Amino acid sequence: MDRWQVGIDIGGTFTDVVALLPPSGETRAAKVPTRRGDPVASILEALAAVGLAAAQVADLVHGTTLVTNAIVEDRVEPVALIATAGFEDVLDIGRAARLHLYRLDLPPKLAAQVPPQRRIGVVERLDHSGAVVTPLDAASLAAAVARLKTLGVESVAVSLLHAYANSDHERRIGAAVKEAVPFVSLSHEVNPETREFERTASTVLNASVMPIAARYLTLLGRSVPGRTRLHVMHSSGGMASPEAAADRPLVMALSGPAAGVTAAAHVARELGLARVLSFDMGGTTTDVCLIAGGKAEISTEARLAGRPVRQPMVAVESIGAGGGSLVKLGTGGLTIGPDSAGAEPGPAAYGRGGTLPTVTDANAVLGYLNLERKLGGAISLDVAAAKASLQPLAQRLGLGVIELALGVQRVANATMVRALSRVTVERGVDGRQCSLLAFGGMGPMHAVGLAREFGMSEIVVPRFSSGFSALGCIVADMSYTQQQTVRMLSAAWDAERFQSLHDGMLDALIAPFRRQGHQAETVTVERTALVRYVGQSYAVEVPFALPLDIGALGAAFRTRHHAVYGYATDEPWEMQSLRLSARIARTAHLKPIETQQTTQPITQPKPNSLSRCWFDRTGPRDTPRFDRDTLAAGARIAGPAIIEDSWSTVVVPPGTAATVDHFGHLFLREASPK
Amino acid sequence: MKNAVDPFTVEVIRHALTAAAEEMSFVIMRSARSPLLREAGDLSSAITDHAGNLIAQGRDIPIHLGVMSFTVKKFLERVPEQRLKPGDVWFLNLPEVGGNHLPDVKAIRPVFVDGRLVAFGVSLAHWGDIGGAFAGSYFAGATETWQEGVRIPPVRLFTAEGCDREKLDFLLANIRGPAEREGDILAQVASTRAAEIRIHRLAGEHGWPTIRAALDRMDDLSEAQMREAIAGLPDGVYEGEDFLDDDGPGGQPAAIRVRIEIAGEHASFDFSKTDDAVSGPLNTTPFVAMAAVYYAIKAIAGPEIQPNSGCYRPLAIATRPGSILDPGIDRPVVGGNHETSQRCVDAIVRALEPAVPERLTAGGSTTAGLLIFGGRRRDGAIGTFYETHGGGEGARAERDGVPVVRVHLTNTMNTPVEVVEAEYFVRVDEQRLRVGSGGAGRHRGGDGMVRSYLVLRDGMALTTMFERRVIPPYGLQGGEAGAPFRVTLHQRDGGSRLLGGKENLRLQAGDRVVMETSGGGGYGAPV
Repeated sequence: MDRWQVGIDIGGTFTDVVALLPPSGETRAAKVPTRRGDPVASILEALAAVGLAAAQVADLVHGTTLVTNAIVEDRVEPVALIATAGFEDVLDIGRAARLHLYRLDLPPKLAAQVPPQRRIGVVERLDHSGAVVTPLDAASLAAAVARLKTLGVESVAVSLLHAYANSDHERRIGAAVKEAVPFVSLSHEVNPETREFERTASTVLNASVMPIAARYLTLLGRSVPGRTRLHVMHSSGGMASPEAAADRPLVMALSGPAAGVTAAAHVARELGLARVLSFDMGGTTTDVCLIAGGKAEISTEARLAGRPVRQPMVAVESIGAGGGSLVKLGTGGLTIGPDSAGAEPGPAAYGRGGTLPTVTDANAVLGYLNLERKLGGAISLDVAAAKASLQPLAQRLGLGVIELALGVQRVANATMVRALSRVTVERGVDGRQCSLLAFGGMGPMHAVGLAREFGMSEIVVPRFSSGFSALGCIVADMSYTQQQTVRMLSAAWDAERFQSLHDGMLDALIAPFRRQGHQAETVTVERTALVRYVGQSYAVEVPFALPLDIGALGAAFRTRHHAVYGYATDEPWEMQSLRLSARIARTAHLKPIETQQTTQPITQPKPNSLSRCWFDRTGPRDTPRFDRDTLAAGARIAGPAIIEDSWSTVVVPPGTAATVDHFGHLFLREASPK
Repeated sequence: MKNAVDPFTVEVIRHALTAAAEEMSFVIMRSARSPLLREAGDLSSAITDHAGNLIAQGRDIPIHLGVMSFTVKKFLERVPEQRLKPGDVWFLNLPEVGGNHLPDVKAIRPVFVDGRLVAFGVSLAHWGDIGGAFAGSYFAGATETWQEGVRIPPVRLFTAEGCDREKLDFLLANIRGPAEREGDILAQVASTRAAEIRIHRLAGEHGWPTIRAALDRMDDLSEAQMREAIAGLPDGVYEGEDFLDDDGPGGQPAAIRVRIEIAGEHASFDFSKTDDAVSGPLNTTPFVAMAAVYYAIKAIAGPEIQPNSGCYRPLAIATRPGSILDPGIDRPVVGGNHETSQRCVDAIVRALEPAVPERLTAGGSTTAGLLIFGGRRRDGAIGTFYETHGGGEGARAERDGVPVVRVHLTNTMNTPVEVVEAEYFVRVDEQRLRVGSGGAGRHRGGDGMVRSYLVLRDGMALTTMFERRVIPPYGLQGGEAGAPFRVTLHQRDGGSRLLGGKENLRLQAGDRVVMETSGGGGYGAPV
């Protein structure tokens, strides 16, 4: 019996599933409501929705918001912190900057995650090179273990000064506290990078979600048959074994967005697109990420609910603007978000009691949403309510509702352009040369407007665009990524030390592969040096291969530095950190959609219906609506048109044309060059 | 439509300009060399129009942002528009030219569209050294400006052809750590270049007349909102004062006094009764006093108002020539920038206590809490380790103060212990909360911190520049004051002494400098 590859993305409201049968390339996809608080049930229901029993599944990869939500909703477990004696308050002290420049009423920083009574100092000290200044004191360690037992916590974080340079003390403490608590997070394993506050905060956060992740992964393991291999999506866009994820659950913090970005990278490779901006617009936020050469950019600086999560993760820029974002009259003009109408009541157009105007209400007024269809089979649209929600604002501005709705579109796009420009500027890339890859519930509706605002000319709305994260789960490689501070100076290069650091890191990185019985030779390793001029604090990323050529690395660094900051010099440089990514590729080939015979003239697809849509102030246009599933490869539709499936709507404005390729991707381009 | 530009275009342009200012800060913070730029973020970015009116700013340091609304205007009084050319980058640091103190050096790039001057990109960065009598350029004993470092009038260091090497070398020859400084200068130039690129692109999309119309509209709206915000304060005349610990090393407390008059939609701030200029480096410029007012009125009355030149039209601000806040160009000012400026805010808070106590925060660590260690870095270069130390936040009517945070006009970050030790011959042997230092009250002030530095090399220089050592952070509405700052030097040979708030000294290996920062004031009588 052939067995299926299944990707499941459990979101806040819906669970998406995409299933692939490798030999034939047959695919199935579905969406089911998420069972809040019962992810295992969501998974089983998603499988049933594509007509599969668990026994038919070879690999089940899933993206989950379990860790993300636990952190964002502050439902994490209490933990203790063991730190170098004299530095137990590192979380209170933080970086001392405040969050809001002018808002005195708001607390300027978050409360420390570990209260004073659960902070334990241990006598020991390393210096920045890893040399021992004060040996680990046995009596103080014994006292720490004894005190830990009295605290009644399940999980402990250990974060010592300079542990990134020497892990010995942390390892010994880790071994000693295992008898006192079941869950231990060591900072040199979670995040072996310098700057003690960020490392400690990340390690504590990891410790606080460990029991939650362990319970969940155990339960899940019990619920699927032994022959089905389970994997989870991690934040840097690959899949990890449940064991690896249980040790370092913080790698799942960005699991959901990473899955979407992974699918986008897959499509970019499939289509041979050099530079892609992924554009995932949902109800409350929009996530964008730069994908260069078929690979998502990686970052290690992110915050979740205001807390540092320093882990390698896809460099997603998130902005508080989505379909449910509220439209307000602000300083200077009209503003969108970050406040949102939320899931309940949601936009006024959803007819569930919402009265405040949102981006979705503007879209409804402009005629883009299908009144005949129920959104997700459940929500019917109320255009009158949408209109009513916009009316007061329109009156204040002395405009018509349509004019206002068109303005809302522009401002929403300008707001999202901020995210696009940030991810490109920070990588020294001209965003106008990128292709926009739009997915998520709202992405395809705003894609053309956004691309025009930013000056991009090519837009792709991929197949499975509304269940794209689930697709990402199927196409993800099995991979692990780690980044470590190394501080190697070009002027005093120690090749031996570099090799030994590299090999040690790699060894730890591929351990999970070994445990699963893979040979080291099947693992592909990607190496990135984080390089800076001596005296800088931030590094630029320079990929390299072994054997390492120092001269070539220096030249590549200067080129990158010039691209990002606009200048470069011949000064000595420093390799601040080393990032290694190890992967075993999976090959997922999706079956092409039905293609029309090329010898026959391409028949024009037939619209389902006609509606009146507004694209500019000149008046409404009769706009045909097409069912996306009925479009054959090679089909071409000139705007104005709407192309829709049960979950999302692609707006093809006048002057734009959509074509369908043989994978089922939609390409949107200007119909004729301006 | 009635207006030349619709509200949607205004918002599109606002987003683009703000993004440009934020990109400027990104470029400089990521590529600069001075630790106080790259770790502490002691820098700010702004874009002004052709006349020097602020049109966009980064999310940076309030004192800088206020001062920069004067920098280009004063610059243009010295350098007429006809002398400016595309590709120019001018540098200056004179306090009297819309400035604050010598270490904050401004790079100014004029931006032209179709041959017309339309805007300036301005990058302000605190250099780790600007020359003068002592490493780090905080000379505690200064009695005149010339002892405080190199005074840079507007100088064109870069043109479209590139760097003017002779001028640059002349400047670098007079400051410590020239290589590090050159790196900072290149970063500032790159930052203003980013602004130019963005403005050109924006002008290409909308045309400058549309952008100009959008800016005018933003100014008018901010002005209207500020008028409304001031009208929300009760009319009346309010007087307040607060004190500097001393008027120089070993001196007496000096008063900053303000008289605020709220009348309908107008507010005036008169600092005339402030004490006469002091002998030491705690004087400051009228621009700094005005920046303090800009910050205070925004924080207290209208935190969400978009800051631009329109925002501050309803304000009148007066300082008295010869006073601490308008001392004349010969006086030293280095500490006034972050000490006296904060005292202006404190005086405003104390004045408004009877009027709007529920909007105010009790006294915090309104001082840089500055220690500067000078000497060789581990990589061999001459360098200064410049560290500001935050203390407890004051309490408010609705909540306790938080521990260890920067308040009001500053928002620099600390340097992590692991970075300090990797770069300097200093070990931090303790860093913890100073428990109980927050003032008692119905709500407690936040706690300060203790950080202890062990010196590892002989001959290192140390500068102190901090306040709230004598006059502690105040409570409000019956809350108690927080514990004051205390810095102790424990010498290798066993002796120890409390250090003053303005000192320059030499350290030996084995000496230990212990910084204890202030707690915040409490709010309401303790229960």
